[in-house]
Amino acid sequence: MELTIERLSKRYGQQWALHQLSLRCEPGMLGLVGPNGAGKTTLMRMIATLLEPTEGRILWNGQDIHTHGQALRQVLGYLPQDFGIYPEFTGRQFLRYLAAMKGLPSELLNWRVDEVMEVANLEQAADRKLPTYSGGMKQRIGIAQALLNDPELLIVDEPTAGLDPAERVRFRTLLASLTRNRIVLLSTHIISDVEAVANRLVILQEGRVLVDTRPEALLAKTAGSVWSVTVDQATALQLQESYQVSTMVTQMNGITLRLVSATRPHEAAVVVDPSLEEAYLLATSRQTIRA
Amino acid sequence: MSITALTASGQQIRSLNKSPRLFLSVMTWELRRFAASRLFWFQALGLFGFLLLLTWALHSPEGIDAVPVGNGVGGGASLSGSVAGTSAGGLLHTLPTVLTVLVLLLPFVTADGVTRDLQRRTHELLMTIPLPTWAYVWGRYLAGLVISLGLALLLLVSLLGMGWLLHLTIAEYPAPEIGTVLLLWTGMVLSATILVSSVGFALSTLLPRLSTLVKAVVMTAWLVGALVIPLSQHGNSALPPPSWYINWDPTSRITARELLSAYAINPNPTTTNETQFQQLILSVENKVPDLAGWFAPHLLLAGASLLLVLIAALAFKRFRDVLN
Repeated sequence: MELTIERLSKRYGQQWALHQLSLRCEPGMLGLVGPNGAGKTTLMRMIATLLEPTEGRILWNGQDIHTHGQALRQVLGYLPQDFGIYPEFTGRQFLRYLAAMKGLPSELLNWRVDEVMEVANLEQAADRKLPTYSGGMKQRIGIAQALLNDPELLIVDEPTAGLDPAERVRFRTLLASLTRNRIVLLSTHIISDVEAVANRLVILQEGRVLVDTRPEALLAKTAGSVWSVTVDQATALQLQESYQVSTMVTQMNGITLRLVSATRPHEAAVVVDPSLEEAYLLATSRQTIRA
Repeated sequence: MSITALTASGQQIRSLNKSPRLFLSVMTWELRRFAASRLFWFQALGLFGFLLLLTWALHSPEGIDAVPVGNGVGGGASLSGSVAGTSAGGLLHTLPTVLTVLVLLLPFVTADGVTRDLQRRTHELLMTIPLPTWAYVWGRYLAGLVISLGLALLLLVSLLGMGWLLHLTIAEYPAPEIGTVLLLWTGMVLSATILVSSVGFALSTLLPRLSTLVKAVVMTAWLVGALVIPLSQHGNSALPPPSWYINWDPTSRITARELLSAYAINPNPTTTNETQFQQLILSVENKVPDLAGWFAPHLLLAGASLLLVLIAALAFKRFRDVLN
């Protein structure tokens, strides 16, 4: 299975949401990150056949999805960033409904619904009405519906937004368990989610691919560019104005800053191991400086 | 959270049901969704109660007073009687009014068949699954139509039920003639139900961003046809409706008014008391209405509205920027 994106562009009015974007995806999890408005959701929606490209094309196993959209939908699981529910239904009814709409054979339908409910750990809440579900449960029923047809291509758009930390960890562990034999596209602005589960990282900025690499490669590239220093408040404020600060912790002996910079920002600063978030900050700030 | 691997074979799960009956599945599930809502049942029950009340309130739509003439009794005491609301003649008085109540509800049942998914943000889930567009649109339409026809059936049941109740409780109130009631219901109520449901659904599907306006336009158009036009012509013989409109009036108000001319009560010289007068009214009010002219056009209007649904299904685009 292969997803190929060729010189894809999308324009809203005079604004390019995506511009000449090309990607090739094979089984595994691709983490798509970028600031708000970078074009992540637009890209996801175009791959999910919800939006038409202005230019370029998307190929699924060599077939253009514009003309072979149905072939892609057969193997597509999609969890939108923000989706609605039918308040009249229980969780089980909702999944049965979508399974029927996906055309699952009736002899498999109930069994499959039970299976995805188990995967999403929703068996206990299966017969509760959907409006009684918490945010995390709603996201889990979202991923359960996406798995109904055992998709080869799973698209999840900002799935952990609004979840508490424990739910977020549980959710991304579930996602990680689903990457075998399928392409998973995870769009998020929470870098730690990508760090935890993705084997490929794509950073989008202003509708273009800024970085396309493995997370560990980006970390290696960032080595030597993240610094830690403890200073007084006035110096901290000066550093904050001149450098990209990733963390700032007030302590008894001053303020400890972690700074992202290609050069030593302060004579007391020491190099520390970068986090993926800091690697992301460095990559996007370089682009901003170039711009 | 369980990390159980999915055990199903992808091929097995994706041996998808490509049956042309997929749209029936869409319809069935949409009906199940309605059935799962308590509010829906309360609303249906409320409508049924209101229709019963309305039928009872209109059970005597036309009081008739007459002074017998001829045979030496001219100038005698006047006779009075009334037409039963659930007789053929009575229904020509009452049915357009009852129908208006029903029709004002129908756009809310059918117009949102597709746009409801946009409002509830469920369309992204549905548009990314391998459900053919035609199955989605026709399935949603049929679900709305079935519910609308169910409401129209409630109207029929309320007419017959209240008619029988009045017959059992009021002396000289005739039992409803089931065949005649069914004929008028088919020609006036059934055709109008299909017409309004189809037009509301098709226009909303074609113009999803304007679905509220579509409902308002459908209701306003009906009120103009059922109330404003007939009132503007009331007692104004200088402004007769065009002859074609009498047969093609979808609201049936003007059609019914023209048919009523065959139900005029003219006491003959042998009618000398109220019992005879009421017998005379009975013999006239239960006459089967003349179906020639209007019946087929009403059904044709309903049929034509299905073409509009077909156009909407063909024109429907799954893309989000079109829907939004």
